[in-house]
Amino acid sequence: MTRTSPPIQPRPPADLAGGWEVGLLVFMALLYTVGALINPGFFGGSDAAFAVLRDASRFGVMAVGMTFVIVNKDLDLSVGSTLGLVAVVFSLTYAPSFADQPAWLGALLCLALGLGIGLVNGLLVTKLKVPAFIATLAMLFIGRGLVLGLTGGKNIGYAGKAEGDVFFLIGEAGLFGLNNQILVFLVVALVGIFLLGRTRWGFESYATGGNAQAAEYAGIPTDTVRLRGFMLSGFCAALAGLMNVAQDKTVTSQYGQGAELIVIAAVIVGGASILGGRGRVLGSCLGAILVVLIDKVLREGVPTVRSITVGGVEMQVQAMAQLPPGAVPAFLGLILLAAVLIEPWLIRSGLLARLWAKLRGKPPPAGGTAEGAAIVGVQTRGSRATARDFSGGFFSRLLARRETAAVVLAIVLWGIGAILRPDFWASLDNSFNLLLAFTEVALLAIGMTFVIANGDIDLSVGAVLAMSGATAAFLMKEMELAPVFAVALAFAAGTAAGVMNGVLTNRARLPAFVATLGMFYIARGIGAWLVAGRQLSGFPEGFNLIGRKLIEILDSAGIAPPPGSGAHALASAVSVQTLFMGLLAVAAGLILAKTRFGYAVIATGGNRRAADYAGIDTARVRFVSLVFSAMCAAAAGIIYIAYLRSFNPSAGQLRELDAIASVIIGGGSIFGGFGSVLGSLAGAAVITLIRALLSLQVLLPDGRSFIMPQHWVNVFIGGILILAVLADIWLRQEHMLQRLRTRFFPKRESVSPEEAPS
Amino acid sequence: MSEPTATPVVEMRHINKTFGPVKALQNVDFRLMPGEVLGLVGDNSAGKSTLMKVMTGAYQRDSGEVRVDGQSTHFKSPQDSRDIGIEMIYQDFALCGNMDIGQNIFLGRWPKRGLFIDRKRMYAEAEAVLKRLKVDVNSVFQKVESLSGGRQQSVAIARTISFDPKVIVLDEPTANLSAMATERLLETMLELKRQGVAQVIISHRLNDIFEVGDRVMVLKRGENVGERLIKDTDEHEVLQLIVQGNMETAPEG
Repeated sequence: MTRTSPPIQPRPPADLAGGWEVGLLVFMALLYTVGALINPGFFGGSDAAFAVLRDASRFGVMAVGMTFVIVNKDLDLSVGSTLGLVAVVFSLTYAPSFADQPAWLGALLCLALGLGIGLVNGLLVTKLKVPAFIATLAMLFIGRGLVLGLTGGKNIGYAGKAEGDVFFLIGEAGLFGLNNQILVFLVVALVGIFLLGRTRWGFESYATGGNAQAAEYAGIPTDTVRLRGFMLSGFCAALAGLMNVAQDKTVTSQYGQGAELIVIAAVIVGGASILGGRGRVLGSCLGAILVVLIDKVLREGVPTVRSITVGGVEMQVQAMAQLPPGAVPAFLGLILLAAVLIEPWLIRSGLLARLWAKLRGKPPPAGGTAEGAAIVGVQTRGSRATARDFSGGFFSRLLARRETAAVVLAIVLWGIGAILRPDFWASLDNSFNLLLAFTEVALLAIGMTFVIANGDIDLSVGAVLAMSGATAAFLMKEMELAPVFAVALAFAAGTAAGVMNGVLTNRARLPAFVATLGMFYIARGIGAWLVAGRQLSGFPEGFNLIGRKLIEILDSAGIAPPPGSGAHALASAVSVQTLFMGLLAVAAGLILAKTRFGYAVIATGGNRRAADYAGIDTARVRFVSLVFSAMCAAAAGIIYIAYLRSFNPSAGQLRELDAIASVIIGGGSIFGGFGSVLGSLAGAAVITLIRALLSLQVLLPDGRSFIMPQHWVNVFIGGILILAVLADIWLRQEHMLQRLRTRFFPKRESVSPEEAPS
Repeated sequence: MSEPTATPVVEMRHINKTFGPVKALQNVDFRLMPGEVLGLVGDNSAGKSTLMKVMTGAYQRDSGEVRVDGQSTHFKSPQDSRDIGIEMIYQDFALCGNMDIGQNIFLGRWPKRGLFIDRKRMYAEAEAVLKRLKVDVNSVFQKVESLSGGRQQSVAIARTISFDPKVIVLDEPTANLSAMATERLLETMLELKRQGVAQVIISHRLNDIFEVGDRVMVLKRGENVGERLIKDTDEHEVLQLIVQGNMETAPEG
């Protein structure tokens, strides 16, 4: 098939490339046997095999679309929420209790919707230069928010109307007792194989992913190719959504949740490279079946016998040892990471061939070097520093101070709040709540500032927050550990997650967004595993003090200022955690702005090669930053449960988005090289205020009040992240305002920057 | 310039380097005198960059000898050679565009006072280095990405000379520069020469080398095919050497 590697380093022997799919099949057979041994009741018969195939079909269809995206060297994190959104839109169109339209109309609408989402993703990535993972991550959350908002969290069912409707045949068993979804999958797979392997579209994709610049020089419209990839992916996700509703004849707000993980894992397991330029539809399809099978095996219970004592009599009880459902993503995340690592470290470096040669005592084959495994090139960087005009206009000078916008915005937003609710906004209670919410976002944002300034990204902060919170709660309640040890261990758990992120990005040289995406699922899964089905609350009071107001501490120490004094008011508005965050912010701010380490962070983000050459240990700098970010998240998680006095599984959800948006709003650049703690704090304030304003009960002039349903808030936050990244790229980096100005008011004819007066 | 009595600052003898079946360098001799500007020319893949990388320790030679100030050396990495004063400036400058000139000149070794960076000293010294090079920039607080290519090149050189090197290797320094910027750069190189820094220019542009160089060395397919003193030759002759590359026994007059 197409090969994109340079001639010096030949692709592994053709039999290995072709053997990949065979290997998948063998592995699948093995896994299936294991599943059958564990639970003969479920995996024994052909029905079970068909059920696996049926459920794999939807993921397979999505994997076909995703293959194009990944071959193009992009990533689409939004497929899962696209599936969910499509399912909801179809249901709203079709359900008798809503629009009550015919199925074909709903289906057409949904396919158009899928294409539309793909188009938006593609435009953001190609025309607006937003890194693919950020654009589609925001799209993921926007889609999820829409699903929740549109359904209101309720199920929409229409089994009655669906009776005898041709559309729903898709979900029925047809030929040879096979579900028709399998047929759809087969058709989509064949079309995909043909498209990617045999047509110009496919070849253009390989060229774009292999070397976009070369492809561009060769006259391939790479933007169009990538746009096409996203649209195919969106279309396939829509198709999968339709298959899903056709089967279930109902929809819940959970549809498609986490599907992106399975789909991306499937494509990577199927032999595609996250580096782009490599991947086959057939492999992706087999990968989808394999990953779904793994998912099923993981969810499957192992029949065990447990002995319990009832009323003094010991009884043997049949039980199922089972993973809590929330824990499954932890394994899928691991599989994703393992699969991503296989390609560079096993295949490209020729590890097996070298090992084989060593075993036989022969010299290792030439070519394969560990250096070939460097996949640092996939960095999120999208802009190159070119010589730019340095003009001291008012706008550029204002924008030159990158924090300005965030500070101004925070003040304006606070003012809006004060105007909307003069009775309530500035009150002690509200200020306390605002500060509290601010503290959590700010803690994450402080750590994230270092990571983003480095040119990396940490998608796992929310999940690490949840994991360390869960760890602390679990240790105190279930293990009855002293708070000090529980806190220390929870902190260590979070730090360990950061260390793993650091090792994966620096040692294994994965792009940070892939490594932390894996950690995102792993940490959340572990957290869910720890708390599964338990109510974890009621911690020792000494521990809860971490989350109390300052005044309560002072009270208990007997040194509280008299009520009514300014100090009393301040101590009632500020809590321990806010104080902790403040101290951390000062320390982190000084380190980033004033020390060699901070300069090294900025230099690494600006030009890693140059920093390396200047003798900066960039690997260490990036490692430390990722660990620091995870530590901040761990601290936030511990504070979270101390404040709420219980652990809530939704802890830290969407927080990665808040933290990233805070840093970007506060002057960080998604491409690295910029960021300040002060700016990030201002950015965190902006995010907190936006959230508070969105959920503010607004008193209308006619005496009624209005409040936005909580479900919709996430849609806005996703939108804000996109806006912040766009503003950063286009206003700060590309100097859009300046360019517009020079376009409309051409003052001087192309004076070379050399000669331009200061 | 090259009277046989003086010790060359760098001397390489009988260098061989192969990459798999490719003989990148075959028995190459190289000599650089103190304060000399040597032009290293040849076709693509003639081995110019490889030779310099062998010299700085970025590549390990297969055989041969590298002497610095008469001392036999064996650099394990470019860091080793920089420690004793051999600096290489890469085609893409190796600067951080997001940082200002002062910060770039001291990249990775920003002066400290206590825990924090000594900004005052950093900018004062940066200013001094730029003065020494006679490069005028608007201010040391200017971000490097807002500079033109020629200025960036000057900052890269300023950064290099702040180490007080003996030898500077410039890899295609004028490749991406405008005529004006090239002129500036060549002035800077002459200034350096006046201060006694030996320089090697890898370049395709013969006229640049003829403007500032003392001597030119021609490589072809990994072999040294001739050396000429600039004052005794012309572009035509050097071009002949590059293209025809007839081996000579007596390199110089």
